[in-house]
Amino acid sequence: MRLRSLLVTAALVRDTFREAFARKIFWAFFGCSTALILFFIFIMKIDVVQGAIATISLFGNTSRGQDVQLLVRQVHAAIAAFLFTAGMFLAVFASAGLIPAVFEPGRIELLLSKPVERYHILLGRYVGNVLVIAANIFYLVFAVWLIFGAKTGIWTVGFLWSSVLIVFIFSVLLTVVLLVGVLWESAVVSTMVTFGIMMMSPILAQQRILERLLTSEWSRNIMRFLYWVLPKVFDVGRIARELVLGNSITSWMPIWSSALFGVVILSTGLFVFARRNY
Amino acid sequence: MSFAIETEGLVKIFRSFWSGKEVRAVDGITLSVDEGSTFGLLGPNGAGKTTFVKLLLSCAHATQGRATIFGRDAREPEARRPIGYLPENHRFPTYMTGASMLDFYAALSGMDGAARRKRIPELLSTVGLKDWGDTRLGKYSKGMLQRVGLAQALMHEPRLLILDEPTDGVDPIGRRQIRDILHTLEQQGVTIFVNSHLLGEVELFCRDVAIIHRGKVALQGKVKDLTAGSGYRVAVDYVPERLDQELRSKAKAVAQRNGSIEFLFSNREEANQAVDLLRAQYCEIEELGRTSSTLEDVFVRTVNET
Repeated sequence: MRLRSLLVTAALVRDTFREAFARKIFWAFFGCSTALILFFIFIMKIDVVQGAIATISLFGNTSRGQDVQLLVRQVHAAIAAFLFTAGMFLAVFASAGLIPAVFEPGRIELLLSKPVERYHILLGRYVGNVLVIAANIFYLVFAVWLIFGAKTGIWTVGFLWSSVLIVFIFSVLLTVVLLVGVLWESAVVSTMVTFGIMMMSPILAQQRILERLLTSEWSRNIMRFLYWVLPKVFDVGRIARELVLGNSITSWMPIWSSALFGVVILSTGLFVFARRNY
Repeated sequence: MSFAIETEGLVKIFRSFWSGKEVRAVDGITLSVDEGSTFGLLGPNGAGKTTFVKLLLSCAHATQGRATIFGRDAREPEARRPIGYLPENHRFPTYMTGASMLDFYAALSGMDGAARRKRIPELLSTVGLKDWGDTRLGKYSKGMLQRVGLAQALMHEPRLLILDEPTDGVDPIGRRQIRDILHTLEQQGVTIFVNSHLLGEVELFCRDVAIIHRGKVALQGKVKDLTAGSGYRVAVDYVPERLDQELRSKAKAVAQRNGSIEFLFSNREEANQAVDLLRAQYCEIEELGRTSSTLEDVFVRTVNET
């Protein structure tokens, strides 16, 4: 029984990859990641002398006397920040159609006619979608980590952890895509709602400043409520940055509260899907 | 006799979220389909046929009543294991090839990799798509999609086939091919449940039918019983005037067709008397036989009466 269940999950994940390949989502990400990797391999030259960088050469421009440790961490932090912002928007935008595609009339009936629990079908798609993005993020981060390690001899584990956090926050945002997809069966609406949550995150993260600006107590309560309930994309990004720069983390709350949000939204999505008529 | 499908007072009411308006798509259907039979489900558009099929497959949830598949509650995923299903207006993902589509859906049915690899070429060959396995489904014609869809339904060797408009969009040769495949499956004891508008196809293939109208079963029975007529037809090319008047007074109906005169008699005795009289006058009898209705006649009559 467990083997059969694994077989079904593998088939659903494989199908998601196949669709991502066909929609060119996977290859677009893979191409961008590879271009960035090639840039670091061939364009950027670093000469290290006794733990400090003698020169960095980029497109023929040379700068001298950089601290090697600082430089590597800064580049890692810049890449992580890019992946947390633009990369995340791209990932949500590109893959938002993969889940609502399952609900297309003529396709969903056939899936539901198979001896598989409904939650299993949707969960398989969800996992497949996360893995499509995870494969690209891990590929980029690990390759950049290897290149910088090989060129400078600096192997900071924090950068690798940041990739885990990027995939984590993507998987949380994907639960929103899933729930909205189940409710409205529309990739456009799924993307809009998820983008809305992402864009609210940096605003809500400034809650202490905003609290001083808001005049009524109820509006402050609403803002606090939203801050606590919604996933903290911005704050998790800040944690990733601290990890990359080698600083200590003062609070893990943004991670566990975002995880809790993801679990609740995913469970709601699966519950609604199980009860719907197709 | 065990049943492949059994429903009892099955009801499905759709309620509009905003207006609260109710539509009773399926209104207390009690139906049983014998194991190993070929069953046709008929009905006009909007009669509730597709909703009924969706209830059997748990694509929709019943408001009331129960449905079982081989004695198992239709809501359980395991009840769907012996079912092969071909939906109407299916949309197979166009990024898949014929072979990969069969592989995917068979994996969901619980078939292991080795069995799938063996069965895919066999089935593609059976449905006449042997050389199309590696071609993307986006390049298939409607008839080819229908045939590969049938192969999909057969992959895991189901005991019950539920086919929604199986020959829709298929050319006459393809239709015959599909019918032949279904006849072979019938001989192997597979129960075949066909939901179709093509009454001629159903009449040719199914032994049992049910006609659904306004969510209820309006008529159910064996095709041969439903289409059997209650009279006898005698066709002759010429009848002398006196005899013609005598036969007209005895016949329940008379019709002129293709230069012949057709007398319709209520029973065998009257038909035999007419034959004796005609032969005594040396009249040539063109045709003699029982009258029968087509399934279409039965369908139209049933729908108009209910």
